[in-house]
Amino acid sequence: MIFSQKLAAAAAINRRDMLRIGGPGMLGLTLPKLLQAEDAPVVAHAPKRKAKSVIFLFQWGGPSHVDTFDMKLNAPEEYRTKYAPISTSVPGMHICEHLPETAKVMHKIAQIRTVHHTMNNHNSAGYTALTGVQPAIDDQRLRDSLDLFPAFGSVVDKVAPNTNQLPTFVSFPHTISDGSTTPGQRASFLGKIHDPLFIPNDPNDANFELSQLSLPSDVSLGRLGNRRELQKIINSQARQLDQSAAAQGLNAYYEKAISMLNSKQVRDAFDISKEPTELRDAYGRTTYGQGCLLARRLVESGVKFVTVYFSRSIGGRSKTEGGWDTHGFDDTRMYEILPEFHLPITDHTLPVLLNDLDTRGMLDETLVMWFGEFGRTPKINKSISRDHWPKCYTALLAGGGTIGGSVYGESDKYGAFPDRDPVTTGDLAATMYHAMGIDHSIEVKDNFNRPLPIANGRPVTDIFA
Amino acid sequence: MHHTNFPGLAALVLTSACIANLSRADDASPSFRNDVMAVLSKSGCNQGTCHGNANGKGGLKLSLRGQNPESDYITLSRESAARRVTPLSPADSLLLQKPSMQIPHEGGRRFPPGSSEYKILQNWIANGLPKDDDTSAIVVSLKVTPSQKTLHFPENSVSLLATATFSDGSTRDVTSLTVFGSSATFVSITDTGVATADQPGLTTIVARYLNQQVPVRLEFVPERPDFEFKTPKATNFIDEAVFAQLKRLKTNPADVCDDSTFLRRVYLDLTGLLPTIEQAKAFIESPEPNKRSKLIDTLLASEEFNDFQTLRWADLLRVEEKTLDATGVEVYHNWIRTSVAEDKPLNTFVAELIAARGSTYKVPPTNFFRALRTPEERSEAAAQVFLGIRLQCAKCHNHPFDRWTQDDYYAWSNFFARVDYEIVENKRRDKSDKHEFSGEQIVKISEKGDVKNPTTNEIAGLRFLGSGNVNAPEDKTGGDPSPDRLEQLATWISDPENDRFSTTQANRIWAQLMGQGIVDPIDDFRSTNPPSNPELLNALRDEFVSHNFSTRHLIRVIMNSTTYQLSSTPNTTNAHNNGTFARTELRRLTAEQTLDAIAQLLNVSAEFGGHKSGTKAVQLKGVRNGGFRYSKPEIGDQFLTLFGKPDRLQTCECERTNETTLAQTFEMVSGELISQLLATSGNRIDQCLATDQSDTDTINQLFWAALSRSPNAQEIDALVKHVNQQEDKRDAFEDIVWTLLNSNEFLLRR
Repeated sequence: MIFSQKLAAAAAINRRDMLRIGGPGMLGLTLPKLLQAEDAPVVAHAPKRKAKSVIFLFQWGGPSHVDTFDMKLNAPEEYRTKYAPISTSVPGMHICEHLPETAKVMHKIAQIRTVHHTMNNHNSAGYTALTGVQPAIDDQRLRDSLDLFPAFGSVVDKVAPNTNQLPTFVSFPHTISDGSTTPGQRASFLGKIHDPLFIPNDPNDANFELSQLSLPSDVSLGRLGNRRELQKIINSQARQLDQSAAAQGLNAYYEKAISMLNSKQVRDAFDISKEPTELRDAYGRTTYGQGCLLARRLVESGVKFVTVYFSRSIGGRSKTEGGWDTHGFDDTRMYEILPEFHLPITDHTLPVLLNDLDTRGMLDETLVMWFGEFGRTPKINKSISRDHWPKCYTALLAGGGTIGGSVYGESDKYGAFPDRDPVTTGDLAATMYHAMGIDHSIEVKDNFNRPLPIANGRPVTDIFA
Repeated sequence: MHHTNFPGLAALVLTSACIANLSRADDASPSFRNDVMAVLSKSGCNQGTCHGNANGKGGLKLSLRGQNPESDYITLSRESAARRVTPLSPADSLLLQKPSMQIPHEGGRRFPPGSSEYKILQNWIANGLPKDDDTSAIVVSLKVTPSQKTLHFPENSVSLLATATFSDGSTRDVTSLTVFGSSATFVSITDTGVATADQPGLTTIVARYLNQQVPVRLEFVPERPDFEFKTPKATNFIDEAVFAQLKRLKTNPADVCDDSTFLRRVYLDLTGLLPTIEQAKAFIESPEPNKRSKLIDTLLASEEFNDFQTLRWADLLRVEEKTLDATGVEVYHNWIRTSVAEDKPLNTFVAELIAARGSTYKVPPTNFFRALRTPEERSEAAAQVFLGIRLQCAKCHNHPFDRWTQDDYYAWSNFFARVDYEIVENKRRDKSDKHEFSGEQIVKISEKGDVKNPTTNEIAGLRFLGSGNVNAPEDKTGGDPSPDRLEQLATWISDPENDRFSTTQANRIWAQLMGQGIVDPIDDFRSTNPPSNPELLNALRDEFVSHNFSTRHLIRVIMNSTTYQLSSTPNTTNAHNNGTFARTELRRLTAEQTLDAIAQLLNVSAEFGGHKSGTKAVQLKGVRNGGFRYSKPEIGDQFLTLFGKPDRLQTCECERTNETTLAQTFEMVSGELISQLLATSGNRIDQCLATDQSDTDTINQLFWAALSRSPNAQEIDALVKHVNQQEDKRDAFEDIVWTLLNSNEFLLRR
């Protein structure tokens, strides 16, 4: 077959073929392999793979770019941050005074300072940031329906799934929402088999365990083994049925689930108590801090894509919980809140994570992404805080072959608009796939069988070595 | 010669030079639209993964699949300082050097220097990049011969010939310029149109030349020299059509399934539930020869059938609380259920949905439009659900795999342009949520308003899909004539002569029972996705229409056929039964079926938010979208979501998923709901233990509840042994129930 026909053949693997090949139950197991096989010529020119894994630290609520990494110290006072700058490990680069530990690792971080889109509301902006795709309208309660684009990790699971015992995509510890569940956290039209393994449990909890991997208290592994043996006996009675592809598909899932329950490797991967106390302390005894540590542990064990959500809610009014949405409502004040909560947590996790990865020799093969759904208004509002600003904000990328200390794109003197090298969320997605060695123009099919490229944009290749 | 884009003198010199150098056959310049564009498609240049990508590739962006020759002409001849084409030295053109890999090309070599593709591009460049003008012939049709063929192995290869007819009446062999693709992976097809199958089976080849697409249906019949068609008993026209195809394909249908399998199948298909122990035993033990037909009739007349059939339509019609509100869900669901119960003709049912207006509380079908807030949503939904047409692509560009143009899209959408809402009251809890409506609305038709085609920026016409003529030629600035456009649409759609509607609905009912449409996916009718058995589909449609669009009648006819009653066990000839219905395909129970079956086995009920205890999953009216913000989903709701119950935000069967996932398996193995129902005090295990019956009797009872059969000797042995080994008898029976509900026989509809 020549190239174009191979493509057509890959595109034509329809449901009937899938049924013929594997039966409904096998879909999840066969599909990625099939696509891999048929996609091979397409990715022949894919970028050289650097990042084996991605850790995506999603900053829900929208951190202020102009008070953290893109400070406009020469801007007029009504724009200028009220925090002092401090110098960093990159000569001439300054960041916020409340990020002193982060300042020491800025030479390990690449910045993109011109991320921009047009979504002003949390859910529509969050969806854009989580998928790289803008919704049709800027909808404050954008509904999480199957016509919307899947999460990055789900796409990775579809086009380049893990071949080890571990899931491709794990996310925790929150399902983020603002009034309604924010779209972009799951597999959407790619199908539930590409949903993340989602952990709703708090990794900072003394009894943290993965609920899927924990058996009911009265069911031991031994008892489960007995049940499985009985199940096999009953299945073997209807012999023809048992040999069918559909039954074998079901059986493969039972094998996988039970082997995960029995697997020391899998249990260990999620068993954060195995980490030394000092390291656990270093990450901070917070849900987010221990979440970052768990992310590193999972990536080390072979999980390909980990999303850690900073908070469940957009927050912004509390010094003890919630996200970055610091409008200054109800007499709360951004400049008072951030140094009490968001900035210290960030400063105790991001640099610790990067150093931890580095020490283990994993930084080069792990891409760490840190950004939210938008930045915040360059002009300080009446409540001495800042509102939503999607027109220009900063994303941090570290490891995975990126050039530490590099800065791509330049915002204007207020941090309001890109001055040079604007980057869309689609570009950001393409950049992430590029780092993973995945051709960002690979197409996936939606429910109407429409081919859609996994990223609508071009990779920012300048930040890679 | 056209020299419109080239300085006259240079072109003149160049052209004469070329003519001197080229053989006579190459003399005529290729047409940009008919030859050059075809080469770009044939070589894959304008695919979505290559230069047809929305962002282009390597700095070159072509229109997707060549849908816009005008812009591609400018791109290739003018952009990038025209460096892509070098008429003075054609061989130096990037347009030739890149695809022939004389210089590096990320997309690899598309054709070698000197190939026919290369020569067409070279010749076009050398001729001065002639552009087609208004008088140039354009392609009007494509014919591929053979248009269908049955081949008998070892013959496994066929040559296809593509002939295009142009607007000037001329015809031409365009095989070498035609893109061929196969719907099946076991068939490969060469550049020159030779299709070869590795194994027997059915496939559709789609041949594409410019904007023309033609399907070619190929049947590859296995050799099987000793094949003998075991003519099964044909019960009705369905069997005649299915068996005729199977005989041609040298495939024997499976045996008819046994009573126990039939019983479960019919109960699950008609009611969504398992038979009770009593129902199962009564049927199995009955000696009546026509007990299968009788059971079908009994269940078709049951309240449970009404519940289950209503669930299907509630999925498609977006019966959910956030937009319709609780009252809306209640009245709309009740209306659907009443329509199902009285077996309202399906065309009447749909006509009532389309023509409905008035209060969403008092005229329930108005909720169809309440759920669909824009003309585009309404028109896409109506096309998909009622006519089996996925129109979505044509919103932004002409449909790449179908006949629909953007103009068709907006002329169809315009029927729905004047639907308007009088919001009597809106007590939404979340002021920021524009999707939430709580309170009565009046659906009405406004006096004016039309959709515009954004490409032309003109008011769209008014045209039924697939009907060539613009209907209702009313003055667009005035009001609609009487009857108004939606009433006209309702009449058109429900007309028994409207084959699209009746065929789509007959195919949907078939797929509901057989697990796969004759056209599949069932909402994707197009010439390039033909039916696997056209005679069967036509016969079903005729049966449906001649019996006044009675859903019950068609279900009864299908279920009484031998084809429906075939076993899932393959024989030596039908293992690869792809769309031929030679045996029953296994499929996992749906979310509701699974949960109801588990609850039934344990004789307990699962909890659902907003419903009284004891409600079955198949009886749930809405999905409580948005409601979960205010109260946590109950354990039953969580289970249903995990197993694929749709949110009802799309008007598509595809929103319900039946795929198995690891998370579902964890739920079945050790999840909260299973553990809770196993532990519930007073469940079937406790009920059994409360009697003084033997362990064997209890095992027997659990088997009948779960699998509608007695355990065999090996099962009894193993399970009795297990019970004896356990200290706690309840634990032992919990294990047995766990085993039953995790068995293939329980989880699969067969």
